[in-house]
Amino acid sequence: MPVVSADVVIIGAGVSGLTSAYFLARAGRDVVVVDKGIVGGEASGRNGGMISERTDEPAMIPMAVEAIKLWATLDEELGYPTEFTQQGRLQVAVTEKDMDDLFSERDEALRHGLRADMVAPSQIRDMIPGITDRTLGGLFFANGGHANSQLTVQALAWAFQDLGGRLFQNTVVTGIQVDSGRVTSVETSAGAIAADMVVGAAGPQTALMTQLVGVHVPVAPARVEILATAPVPPLFDIALVGNGLYGRQAASGNLLFGGGAHEWADVDLATDPDKPNTPLIRNIARRLADLLPGQADAPVIRSWAGVVEQVPDMMPIIDILECPSNYVVVTASAHGFGIAPATGKAVSDLVLYGETNIDIGAFGLNRFSDIGPDWRAELGWNPIPPRF
Amino acid sequence: MESRPLVVVGAGVSGSAAATEAAKAGVHVTLIDENPVPVAMAGLNVPQFFGQRFSGDLRDRALMLERVAAASEAVTEAKAAGVDVQLGTCVWGAFRNSDSSRMLDGPQLGLANDERSWMIKYDRLILATGARDLGIAFSGWNLAGAVGANGAFWLMNRYEASASRRMVVMGAGNLGLSTARMALDRGIEVAAIVDVSNSVRGDVALRTALQREGVKLYTSHTVREAVGRCGDIESVVLVEIDNNSEPVAGTEKVIAADTVCLAIGLVPNVELLSLLGCDLRFESGLGGYVPDRDDWMRTSVETVFVAGDVAGFHEGMVLDSEIARNQGRLAGLAAAESLGAIGKDEALARRADLQAEAVDSASNEVNSNWASWLQSLVTAGGPDIFVCPCEEVTCAELNDLHPPRRLKWEAERQSRRNLRTLAKDSPADSNQVKRLTRVGMGYCQGRLCREQVSMMLAAETGRDVADVPIMSYRPPVRPLPLKVLWPREEAEQVRRDWPKWFSPPRQVLG
Repeated sequence: MPVVSADVVIIGAGVSGLTSAYFLARAGRDVVVVDKGIVGGEASGRNGGMISERTDEPAMIPMAVEAIKLWATLDEELGYPTEFTQQGRLQVAVTEKDMDDLFSERDEALRHGLRADMVAPSQIRDMIPGITDRTLGGLFFANGGHANSQLTVQALAWAFQDLGGRLFQNTVVTGIQVDSGRVTSVETSAGAIAADMVVGAAGPQTALMTQLVGVHVPVAPARVEILATAPVPPLFDIALVGNGLYGRQAASGNLLFGGGAHEWADVDLATDPDKPNTPLIRNIARRLADLLPGQADAPVIRSWAGVVEQVPDMMPIIDILECPSNYVVVTASAHGFGIAPATGKAVSDLVLYGETNIDIGAFGLNRFSDIGPDWRAELGWNPIPPRF
Repeated sequence: MESRPLVVVGAGVSGSAAATEAAKAGVHVTLIDENPVPVAMAGLNVPQFFGQRFSGDLRDRALMLERVAAASEAVTEAKAAGVDVQLGTCVWGAFRNSDSSRMLDGPQLGLANDERSWMIKYDRLILATGARDLGIAFSGWNLAGAVGANGAFWLMNRYEASASRRMVVMGAGNLGLSTARMALDRGIEVAAIVDVSNSVRGDVALRTALQREGVKLYTSHTVREAVGRCGDIESVVLVEIDNNSEPVAGTEKVIAADTVCLAIGLVPNVELLSLLGCDLRFESGLGGYVPDRDDWMRTSVETVFVAGDVAGFHEGMVLDSEIARNQGRLAGLAAAESLGAIGKDEALARRADLQAEAVDSASNEVNSNWASWLQSLVTAGGPDIFVCPCEEVTCAELNDLHPPRRLKWEAERQSRRNLRTLAKDSPADSNQVKRLTRVGMGYCQGRLCREQVSMMLAAETGRDVADVPIMSYRPPVRPLPLKVLWPREEAEQVRRDWPKWFSPPRQVLG
């Protein structure tokens, strides 16, 4: 017999699970969040903190725009800092191909009524002191920004607890009980938790988690890398994308930049995924020094890696399973941080009302109806075999 | 990429012995040592706590190389045995394949000098990376002139580039006494040796000799503060402590000194072992996290061996370099044997003269002494002393989980959160505390604050320090400028195939 019960059990204390938990608790629901590790211990607390209107993926624009509105007052509302700043996002081109991409993204943004301005190399040099002379032009989004992912996940967790929410960290999900087409309880290493609704926000573990209820969802984990320099004098507060990198200067002065090849990986439901860095950090360093030659002397003091998840069309999944009919699947396909407030709002709406005003039409599970169990092999998304 | 059969990292006593032993067994050995370190790195207190107390000589690379090469007979011996010695070269990374990293075609090391970095492959690796200075906060330890025992030793001995003139030594164990001895021998005055214990723990003969030369020992004392002007230490205030490590009012003594040397303990440099996934365990009597190893100095990773302080440091090793030397010889033999250069029988025969106690490093635990120091220094210096001098995080801010000060975040809800409330939700984890307060995130890469953060977490949340998980190590384990870390020759394929975020989605490298 379950020893604990809740209106909603959320599996995963990443940023999507925590925003969902926060909005549900705010709406008066009794919510338990379960995670095999600590809050935001994986990609949610290890990402670059970029927040954008997602004009690269038009189906995500409405949600991203909604998220930015929520970000603006999030820390005040939570009572804990997120280090959110909204000084814009600048994408710079260093090749003709980059320029073509910027123009089409600008057109897409304008079609959606967003602010997006092409900027000349001379303006770019004013915005980002010390940037390379090789920029051909840039695209500036006034509404873009960034936040501190580590502070944000803890802020969400604490604010959720302040509303009475219960957080079970270091707690492994071992099974999900289904009866008559509905989840009745989530079994964990800390005992069973009876639930009226379940939200599976398990990130890279999403597919493994839905397998527990016999449902196939195409989600593949991948490892990505990022590095940090020692603090340098304040240069820019704009989120910067270019030369194959994305990143920002943190409030602490450190330059945080990531990019480069991802590596497909496997995960399990019980342990923290292994996430080493590789010599790729040297190539990231080179690209960063090429992008900001004025900072070539800045010492790199740290690097880290994270395991994110992807689905075949690289877009989020926010949907309720057909069976069990009280299980909400949410994964944001390696774009979870920036859109998280809107994700949480949408999931909370689905749980509370079965529908949401946020446009999640493109994020349903039915789009994968033709995808078979061997999809990872077919796409070349399996990890390479161990060599030794 | 260049490939070497055996790489030994660290040319101290144990590393040089390992290299020589393996070379005598017929192995082509590469011995790498980061000394002399670039002055910019020394200024960041990496890899030791140099506390800015170095002379201008440190800027002269050629002079430093000459002195470092001349300072070690063991290195000369290794060279004579045919070892390829590479000085002025640091190892900033160690990479091998794992569950989610499968792209390498063999284990690799990242190397760098002051101008460039490069990668090499190896068949076997002996890590003789030594130990680093234990940092424990006191008021004024962020000023120039606060140094560590190893930092002071390197400057005085290896580089002959110490700028200290008058020193107060914290710690009256063998580490503190031998630091004082070295200082006196180099013409540096030793104004006082201080210890929180009520007796001198270190070697009697050493202590007697120091006292005969007029060095004052203050037992049952701690440092209230180092007082400075223009960022430079000028005097040190000592204060007596009672049985509960509480300062006794009215017992303050002001001592003129330009240097305060933390000689309380040393911590094994396990960062490369951690990157390679070697099993580590907490061993208080050996300075903290140490590698699991057998009596051949083999770690849990079959290609990796250890020797010397990195395998575990205790104060007995300060006065007896045979322990490190014998460990080095054992590791050298074991590596040679595993490469097939000598047979098992020959390895056994060659180790016959290595005494059994050579690898027995049992000694007393050190954490209660470290904890007494920490408690007395925090009580005497007040809650606003910096636990993390790089990021300027105070003891109070750590305990309160205060968001970074520059955010100017003041909210009632935040003020209800602290280490204890965090520990109710999940066992205290130094990595989580690091994320929230920025403690350990500075340019010294957490070298000065790791141990005391773990100790404070343990004390504040009622855990044993052995149960606090290790604060993670990530490459580069030396702060390298972008223009040094970058690859000079980047493969054309890497440049051409560099993806944008998951575009193309197929894995491009491998």
